Formats: sequence, structure tokens, C-alpha cells
Amino acid sequence: MTDSLHPPMSAATPKRTLTERLGNELSFVPVAIGLVALFFFFATQSDVFLTSRNLSNLMVQSTVTGIIALGLVFVLLTGEIDLSVAAISGVASVFMAKIVMDFGLPVPLAILAAVALGGLVGALSGRWITLIGVPSFVVTLGVGLVLNGIQLLLLPRTGRYNLMNSGVDKLAATHVTGVLAWGLILGAIAIFALVLGSTWRARQRAGLDASFHGGVLLPVVVVAAFLIGMLMFLENQRGLPMPVILFLALLGIMSYITSETRFGTYLYAIGNNAEAARRAGIKVDRIKIIAFAIAGSMAAFGGILSASRSLGVSVSSGGGVGGGALLLESIAAAVIGGVSLFGGRGMVVGALFGALIIATVSNGLNLMGVANEARLIVTGLLLIIAVSIDRGIEKLARPGS
Amino acid sequence: MTEPILSLRGVSKSFGSIKALSNVSLDLEPGKVVALVGDNGAGKSTLVKVMSGVHRPDSGQYLFEGREVHVSNPAEVADMGVQTVYQDLALCDNLDAVQNLFLGRELTGPWYTGFRVTRAASERRAKEVLRRLRLDSISLTRNVGAMSGGQRQNIAIARSILWEPKVVLLDEPTAALSHSAAEQVGDLVRELASHGLAVLVISHDIHHFVLDNTDRIEVLRLGRNAASFNSGDVTGEQVVNAMVGGNEAVNMAG
Repeated sequence: MTDSLHPPMSAATPKRTLTERLGNELSFVPVAIGLVALFFFFATQSDVFLTSRNLSNLMVQSTVTGIIALGLVFVLLTGEIDLSVAAISGVASVFMAKIVMDFGLPVPLAILAAVALGGLVGALSGRWITLIGVPSFVVTLGVGLVLNGIQLLLLPRTGRYNLMNSGVDKLAATHVTGVLAWGLILGAIAIFALVLGSTWRARQRAGLDASFHGGVLLPVVVVAAFLIGMLMFLENQRGLPMPVILFLALLGIMSYITSETRFGTYLYAIGNNAEAARRAGIKVDRIKIIAFAIAGSMAAFGGILSASRSLGVSVSSGGGVGGGALLLESIAAAVIGGVSLFGGRGMVVGALFGALIIATVSNGLNLMGVANEARLIVTGLLLIIAVSIDRGIEKLARPGS
Repeated sequence: MTEPILSLRGVSKSFGSIKALSNVSLDLEPGKVVALVGDNGAGKSTLVKVMSGVHRPDSGQYLFEGREVHVSNPAEVADMGVQTVYQDLALCDNLDAVQNLFLGRELTGPWYTGFRVTRAASERRAKEVLRRLRLDSISLTRNVGAMSGGQRQNIAIARSILWEPKVVLLDEPTAALSHSAAEQVGDLVRELASHGLAVLVISHDIHHFVLDNTDRIEVLRLGRNAASFNSGDVTGEQVVNAMVGGNEAVNMAG
């Protein structure tokens, strides 16, 4: 390589190794394999596990954690963390219940207001963190406790708002079936194919190497098989549950934002080298504040969904004081899904797989009649294993290994 | 003799009571590579920071294309057509070469795509630039974190010339590199000059880098111009003597 002034052909550029790809766009593959393995395991342990009724439940169970984790990914990518997401979900759901029950606001408006509140809280935390330069885990820990207190203040003396027949309950109870369900699923597949197809065509026109099979056909077939399979399976039950539709729609939008837009590139750049990003003219603080705002509004939406499912809000909404299991499982979902706590690595889709793994462990062990403490132990061990695998891949992708 | 595109005339700069530069002059001509050498504390970095707009000189003139300019910040200097590549490269290891080249200046599609980054157009442009610089062997799609030090240095340099500046300032481009990687950077530096750019290189590597890859060597010592050589008719020893102060060195040796 020393006399490389006139390289013979550009064809000599090195191909990317599998470990490099696993560190980037295939970062979700190990966790997807793990999920399939868990499915096989529980299918052998319980006759009920693979029934459409149970899998429908399992998916709905994963949506609240999944949506909160989805927003959290944005913050994690920039190398920060938000420990107040569970508290935001709690306070936003109580706020929504209060303005619906006490002030009679229409439900859609109340939901919008609560999501906006979550975004505002996130943005303010982000502003404070970037302005003062304090570590985000301390600030958001404090914000979380403050919000826990406000949540208690917002609740009535009874400590609970009952949302049965309030209109809020419809959000989680709605199932989409028939033509509408097929339209949604096929529309989603079409949009996905359009996005990948336009990339492929642009590359081809620009005279760059473009693989139709690897770049369009394979991913579209995999996603289509997953979505159509899910629909056919759930049609036997009651159709597509609304929380699942919302989660998958948000997942699609957020994936597009992180992987295709300028803002998404900046999240990754800041997470890896904030100083380089700043020198490239990126407004680092502003990007971080937006990331916190997205995490806050996703958390609020997760909380609303949770309230709708449990037909009410109370002291324990948002995981209770400190965030409890909801906070830990949301962070675990993102991390199990391959998102690095040190920033700059991971994909939004990891939140889906991470949340599904956590829900699967919980659901499967329940069916096996295993007690709650075992569930915690298994989830904890899975988290450690997932982070270790991730670390291993990262080390392998470094030069000289 | 070509007209200089960037000239400093009698520039001085102090930090408190410490005089970092006194009455320093320097010319950069299109198509020429100038090496800036000197011992630690000789004022090399300060001089580059004056040229890149980080520091304002206390006195003296900054001439660009023959006219005096008063620059107050790095962005202004970059807009004028003077790019600086610092030693730390400022690359994002988790992004590939194309993303790093365009970082902060992405080409994007229309609003209804959510300002989607137009990857194909960026990649084609990056490919052209790298080919022009004979850097075809650099992969466009690998993360730069997985690349060698020489390749990373060259990507940082390629990024600085993506928007077609007239002057490139390189701060210690070979400091952390192996001999063969430094040769790759040397090839690139000469390539830049052959495209008509004025290049300034700070380097400590007199024998393996400076003598082979530059046209002129400017020596700074204790914040002053100490000597100026044509790279073709000087030995490494002469340069080093000028850096450390030849007479004193001889005296100490004797």
C-alpha cells in the first residue's frame, strides 16, 4: 500500500465485514435471534404460549414499555439519559385524566395536551442540562421526583381517577379488523418498499453500486412476512389491537427520522463526538433538547396508553415513586435492543425487540407458573447478556482485531 | 514567482506577558506546499490559529488575495476559502466516510421527505472528490472508526477541500502516524498543491515528511522567523540547527 499514488482500480475498496454490519444497520439481529429462541423455549413449556390470544396479549403488554423506550433511544443516541421518562408518563396520564374528568375536555384534545406537556418537560430538562452542563442522569432523576410529587398533587383525595367509559378507555380497547386492517398493513408495507426502492433507484441513477435483492427485496419480504403473519394470526382473535398499531406506526416514523434525516445523522454524530459535531456547525444543544422533548412526549403517550389499558390513573401510574419497574424496563428494552448507553450506537427498532423480549419473558414465565422473583432475575440476566454481546461486537469492529 | 494568496506581515500576538509571536511574516502561494517547523513553544500553533481566525493578531497585517482583511472568527475564515485540519481530526467514528465528509452540510431532499439526506448524490460527490485526490482506496461505506490512521487523516483533509477552498492549513497531520501512513498523507498533500491549492503543513517529521513533500520550509524560533529554506537545497541537519538555534547548539556541542 505504500506506493498507492496510482491504485489500479477502485474495485479494491475493502468490503465491510459482518461484525461491522452488526455494529451498524444489523445491530438488532442478535436480539431478534434471542427473541426467536425465547419463543421456541416457551412454546415447548406451555401449550397456551403460541395461541393468538396470548400473543395478542403479549404484544399489547410490550407497547407501553416499547413506546417509552422508543423515545428514550433518541436521548441515548446523543450520549445522554433521561431517568424521568416513567415519571413523565405518570404525570402526563394523571394530567390527561384530570382535564377530562374534572374539566370535561374532549379526549383527543386532552391526549394532545398531555403529550405536549411531556414534550415540554423533556425540553426543559434538556435546556437545563445543556445550559448548565450538569450530567443528565442527575437532572432527570431530580425532575422525576419533582414530577412524582406533582402527580400526587394532581390526584383527587381518593388517589385515583376512574377512566371506565370516559372515552379514554377506547384507545386501548379498539381493535381494527377486516378491510381496514389489511389496508393499514399493506399501506405500511407499500411505504416501506417505496422508501427503500427510492434509495435503490437513486443509487442506480447515480451510477453507484446498488443491490436490489439485498437493499429492497429482502428487507421488504421480511417486514411484509412479519406484518402479514401478525395480521393473519390476530384476525383469529379480535383483530389488530390499537396500541400495537400505534406502536408500530411510531416505530416506522422514528426509524425514518433517525436513519434518513439530517437530524438523525446529528444524533449519531453528537453521541460519538460532540466536539466534532459542534465544529461541523451542528447546533449540539438544540439537537439534544429536541431529543429530550421527543423522549418526553413519547413517555407521555406511553403513559396515556397505560392509563387507557388499566382503565384509570393512580399513585402507581408511571411505575410509582422513582419510576420503579417501568423506568428500569424501558431503559432495559432500549439497551437489550442494542442501543448503547454511551451514545452513538443502536437503532430505534431495537426498542421493539427489547420490549418484546421483556414482555415475552414476563408472559412466558407467568404461563409456566414461575413466581415474580424469577422473572426479575431472568430479565436482569438477559440485560447483562445483551450488553455483553453488544460490547463484544463493538470490540470486534475496531481496527486491528 | 507566483503571487501569494495569503500573507502575514509583521504579525505579533501576546497572551498576557508571554509574547507568542513577534513580527512574524509568512507567504502561502497557490500550488505550493509550505512547511512550518519549529521547536515546542516556537509559536507554530499560535500562527496557524491566527490564520484560521481563532486568534486575532495584536498587530500586523493579514492579507488575502492581495487585500488586507480583518478576520474575527473561524467561520469567516472558512467562508473566505481557508480551511484548517486540526490534529484531532474531528471525525465521528460511528459514521462512514460520506457522512463525515458532509457532516453539518448534508445534501437533503424536499420538505415532504422530511428533508431526507440524499445519500446517492452525496456519495457520488464524495466519490468524485476522493478520486480527484487519488484516494479511491478509501471505502465510502465503512465507519471511519474501523479505518487506519492514515485513511482517517486523509478523510479529514478531503473534508476540508470538499467545498473547494483556496488554502488548506494542516496541523501536525503525521504526528500519530506510522511511516507508511505518513507517506500516504504526503502523497495527498502534494496532490492538493497540484490542484492549485496553497498548503501549509506543521510537522516535526523533518527527515521523512517535510523534505520530501514540501516546496519551502519556514522555521520559527521563540516566536520569530528564524530561517526560510527551499526544501530542495537544504539538509535535515540545517533545518534542525535553525530550529534549535544553530550557534548555541554548536557552542553547547563544543
